[in-house]
Amino acid sequence: MRHFRTLLAHELRTALLSGNTWASAALFLALMGGIHFFALLECSRAPQPWTPVEATFRLFWLPLLCVLPLLTMRSFAEERRSGTLSALLTTPASTAAIVWAKFLAAWLTWAVFWSAFLIFPWIVNARLGTGGDQRLSDPATLFGGLCFVLVSGLLHVALGILCSCLTRSSALAALLTFICLLGLTAVGGAMDSLPIESWSWLGWLREPAAHLRTFGHLQDFAGGILDSRPLVLYVTGMMLSLGLAVLAVEGQE
Amino acid sequence: MSDVAPQPEAAVAAERLTKRYGSLTAIEDLTFSVAPGEVVGFLGPNGAGKSTTMRILSGTMAGTSGCASIWGVSVALNPAEAKRHMAYMPENNPLPEDLRVEEYLRLRARLKDVEAGKVDTRVNQVMEDCDLVRRASGRLIGQLSKGFRQRVGIADALLAQPKVVILDEPTIGLDPHQILGIRDLIRSLRGQMAVLISSHILHEVEQVCDKVVIINRGRLVAQGRTDDLRRELLPHAGFTVVTKASQAELAALCTATEPAATVEDGVATDLGWTRYRVVLPAQSPARETLATTLLSAGLPLREIAEERYGLEDIFLAATRRTPAEGRRS
Repeated sequence: MRHFRTLLAHELRTALLSGNTWASAALFLALMGGIHFFALLECSRAPQPWTPVEATFRLFWLPLLCVLPLLTMRSFAEERRSGTLSALLTTPASTAAIVWAKFLAAWLTWAVFWSAFLIFPWIVNARLGTGGDQRLSDPATLFGGLCFVLVSGLLHVALGILCSCLTRSSALAALLTFICLLGLTAVGGAMDSLPIESWSWLGWLREPAAHLRTFGHLQDFAGGILDSRPLVLYVTGMMLSLGLAVLAVEGQE
Repeated sequence: MSDVAPQPEAAVAAERLTKRYGSLTAIEDLTFSVAPGEVVGFLGPNGAGKSTTMRILSGTMAGTSGCASIWGVSVALNPAEAKRHMAYMPENNPLPEDLRVEEYLRLRARLKDVEAGKVDTRVNQVMEDCDLVRRASGRLIGQLSKGFRQRVGIADALLAQPKVVILDEPTIGLDPHQILGIRDLIRSLRGQMAVLISSHILHEVEQVCDKVVIINRGRLVAQGRTDDLRRELLPHAGFTVVTKASQAELAALCTATEPAATVEDGVATDLGWTRYRVVLPAQSPARETLATTLLSAGLPLREIAEERYGLEDIFLAATRRTPAEGRRS
């Protein structure tokens, strides 16, 4: 545990001082600012089924695909390329502690990014909000949406860490992460939009499909419904990905 | 009752260590040991398997078969405990470029289980020992010269006062002044910790090490003290003789003293003097009397000197022999 705390503090410090983190943060905020601006614009033109905040969160996959791979790509790939991972493995710190420290540091950075996004609804509310009208930045929707991206982020960040363990090239790690996240989001979206219930020959898929509906999870969280099933799905996926990451690091070194 | 763990017979022990990559065998049946406090040179040509062996001993790579232990602890069965007794500086000494020397050493001290209250003391001590305090402690590692980076690597290895230090090519790329400094540093560790050091600079190994282990093509070909290996691997003694006598005259005198003596073809130098090489069995008493014999015979003699065989000659002789010969010896 002492090693884990030491490694986590080191990883957080490295993330804070890294130009890569600041560039990713700038990209994330520019992207989210743009999305939120256009969501507000749409809502001002005609009535929409979503509030601007909900509409922004429904595009969570955009920063997920564009920014998260940049955050996680260097975690192991760069250390393996430079050889510092070998040096780290000569200490009594376990591989699991190293993997978990890198994961938690990346997840906390991802959480800080999303927390920073809250500044946009706050600005909008401060400039345009009228007393008591919470449609521009409903705190419950904001909190629910944030919970969703943080909980699903457990799996997404863990996948990024796993991909970074598999190669010495940061660019390749980013590409692998992008492909995995794209696949995961596409499957989640397809489960939401395909009428699986009406296809009798796919009856066996109904139950698993219900668990994989990413956008349904977002809607539930934003609506204040705390279902344990997505929680189990994301936490299990995270544990599996990190377990594989530990094996990958031990196998390669 | 004392809670101090008893000192094992071997600080480092490799028993029938084998590593295969598919059909390629990197090391095979490697058996050697390093006693506590001993400084041992680990030698071999490029690709002999030195780095592979060191990585297995350090726990960063798994062997295919055999057993490696550090301070009596199996590296494969209890890697975390084995790593507590050991420090390993890999070849090319990878270091994070964006940390300052002092920050890096503090981080490593905490990872190596140095007591929280002693981290500062130990970091200052190793920086002092490795001459890092004045010129490098506050600098980014990425801005350091090769010599200072090597010092940082060695400082890191000594941080937790391990029982065993494994250094893979610690002086590679250093200038003669820096090599001298590191040699003195390693010498100062004798008796305090077991040091296994690989290097291609044989002169340096000869000066620093108590014992050498020589491998070739992944197999052990020789191990022991330099003097013992000299006797074992170089069973003859060579003399340079510069004389005006003919080869036949010289050979007659030499064989009269030692029947097994041979005189190799001479090289003319100047004014009728010729340089010959006389070879005697290493154990022959004639080694002591050759000069007197030649002088008392009235041979015109300008120079006679016994050749001194260094570690380089031992290394060349050992790497020429077969692994089976090495095992038998």
